[in-house]
Amino acid sequence: MIRITHPQDFWSGLLFVAFGAFGAYLSREFTFGALTKMGPGFLPTVLSYSLMAVGAIVTARSFALRGGEIQPFSLKPQALIIGAIILFAMLIERVGLIPTVFAVILMTSYASSEFKLRDAILLGVGTSLICYVLFIYLLSVPMQPLMWNF
Amino acid sequence: MDVFANLATGFSAAATPGNLLFCLIGCLLGTLIGVLPGIGPIATIAILLPVTYGLDPLAALIMLAGIYYGAQYGGSTTAILVNLPGETSSVITCIEGYKMARNGRAGAALTVAALGSFFAGCVGTIVIAMFAPILAGFAVQFRSPEYFSLMIFGLVAAVVLANGSVMKAVAMVILGLLFGLAGTDTQSGVTRFTFGVTELYDGIDFTPLAMGLFGISELMANLDRRIEDRTQTQKIGSLWPTRKEAMLAFPAVLRGTGLGALLGILPGGGAVLASFASYTLEKKVSRSRDQFGKGAIEGVAGPEAANNAGAQTSFIPLLTLGIPSTPVMAIMVGAMMIQGIAPGTALITERPQLFWGMIASMWIGNAMLVIINLPLIGLWVRLLRVPYRLLFPCIIILCCVGAFATSSSSFLVMMMAGFAVLGYAFGKLGCEGAPFLLGFVLGPLMEENLRRSMILSFGDPLIFVQRPISLTLLLMSLALVLMIVLPSFRRTREVAFQE
Repeated sequence: MIRITHPQDFWSGLLFVAFGAFGAYLSREFTFGALTKMGPGFLPTVLSYSLMAVGAIVTARSFALRGGEIQPFSLKPQALIIGAIILFAMLIERVGLIPTVFAVILMTSYASSEFKLRDAILLGVGTSLICYVLFIYLLSVPMQPLMWNF
Repeated sequence: MDVFANLATGFSAAATPGNLLFCLIGCLLGTLIGVLPGIGPIATIAILLPVTYGLDPLAALIMLAGIYYGAQYGGSTTAILVNLPGETSSVITCIEGYKMARNGRAGAALTVAALGSFFAGCVGTIVIAMFAPILAGFAVQFRSPEYFSLMIFGLVAAVVLANGSVMKAVAMVILGLLFGLAGTDTQSGVTRFTFGVTELYDGIDFTPLAMGLFGISELMANLDRRIEDRTQTQKIGSLWPTRKEAMLAFPAVLRGTGLGALLGILPGGGAVLASFASYTLEKKVSRSRDQFGKGAIEGVAGPEAANNAGAQTSFIPLLTLGIPSTPVMAIMVGAMMIQGIAPGTALITERPQLFWGMIASMWIGNAMLVIINLPLIGLWVRLLRVPYRLLFPCIIILCCVGAFATSSSSFLVMMMAGFAVLGYAFGKLGCEGAPFLLGFVLGPLMEENLRRSMILSFGDPLIFVQRPISLTLLLMSLALVLMIVLPSFRRTREVAFQE
């Protein structure tokens, strides 16, 4: 059985191939043109295929190289952080800045391994008030402090 | 002297009370974020980019310069006190700086780093003021084939100097170029890679991309590394170096400055190379070589000066040719474009106030840093002790609001989340973000210049080798590629990045 001796390169190569294939797929519908008159599809197509080629080499080489273990990662905190950002995007135009910030702070704080509910609530209250003063009052970023729009 | 007259123009434009205030705020904010463990200058500038939106171009650039120097200095502070490098160039500072801190000489290390950087910054500013117009005069001869070859050279250099696998860096550049092409094609009006999302018609917004890829993904990586357990800071001790330390540090600063100013002009991360090169040089010329690795002050002074001088002179290719040579410069281009400024030769002749004002602002930023940061060091250290679990939610809020404020669109916040995931994955897979960012910024420029060259030559690709400047640039790129193939260079490179 063939063993993957360099997981980092193996997976990054595949990632590049995937991006290249997707790019090439999307570029199909653009005119390729010729060297004298390059269409909108020229460079995207050329780059996509090059990316696939380089990605394939990286993956192929990963069977010969050693090392490059992928460092362990914990899914929960990362998912919470990304989820909190998406939550911000969903809430900001619906309930306004103050509740959004409070919710996002609570959610991101929960991602820490040293989560303390009391601190998180205090931080949420403090941050949402500071954000209100800083962004809406001082910097006049176009955001509502409080709203209800569903 | 022409140089001084020009600098005077710059200072009179830059040194208004309002601008000085923005520079001060920039310095403070830059240090504030930059000092946080695990957040390097690139992440800091990316995170703070939206703060400069509402300002007029010069004020915005001055504030950015403040942020930049603040971020660098903040990074050195963390490197010295906590042994956590925020970026590759402060890895070197960690080696001797942290040892000095453990010997109770942290204060001296910080002062030497700050004063050395300031000196290097002054020299760097003068170098820019002298050479930028010359280079810009030379660049007037550049037409699209030359620009295309120059970009090739810049990208090749970025790949060669990237940390880690060359093949992966190549792939990252190509991927960055592809992302850069998204949006409406200027020539045909066709929208590419937009999936019908109107927010993408003008291309992928720079700020959410940079914040996600460099800011948030770093925070995420820090959570994995359990950075919270490591914020044990060392005592600062006296801020003043002893006479002996000063005698050792001063020549090191001079050497570092020279080396940095020279290497910084090279495209592709000269500043990083400069601090490595300076450390090696100091180790070679030192009379007390056994001190290295145990807290040699030259090992802090030289690389810090080299880093700063290099960071300063890396503005030269950006300001004269419009080509960013380092990821930080790529962020600067992004910021300038948001302000409607196209960096390049035209900047000097058409908007001299802005050009010279910006150069003056670099010096002001440097000076501001020494004045405010040394007295405030106690404050920054206290910040280092704030638990990470309280800090990172605030930074995430800052990024979210920044991404949203870019154009009042929650789609951009979503996009930032997407780039954060991508950046995190790149980190886990050992892929460098810097080549990607350069590719992203250069993508549209490259396409345009390639197109124009091909129209100019009626589709003959030989045009790139028939024009002397273009040929020289391509040969230089080839030389860089050959260097990486040569086993001896390869070995040095691996050693340099491992140390």
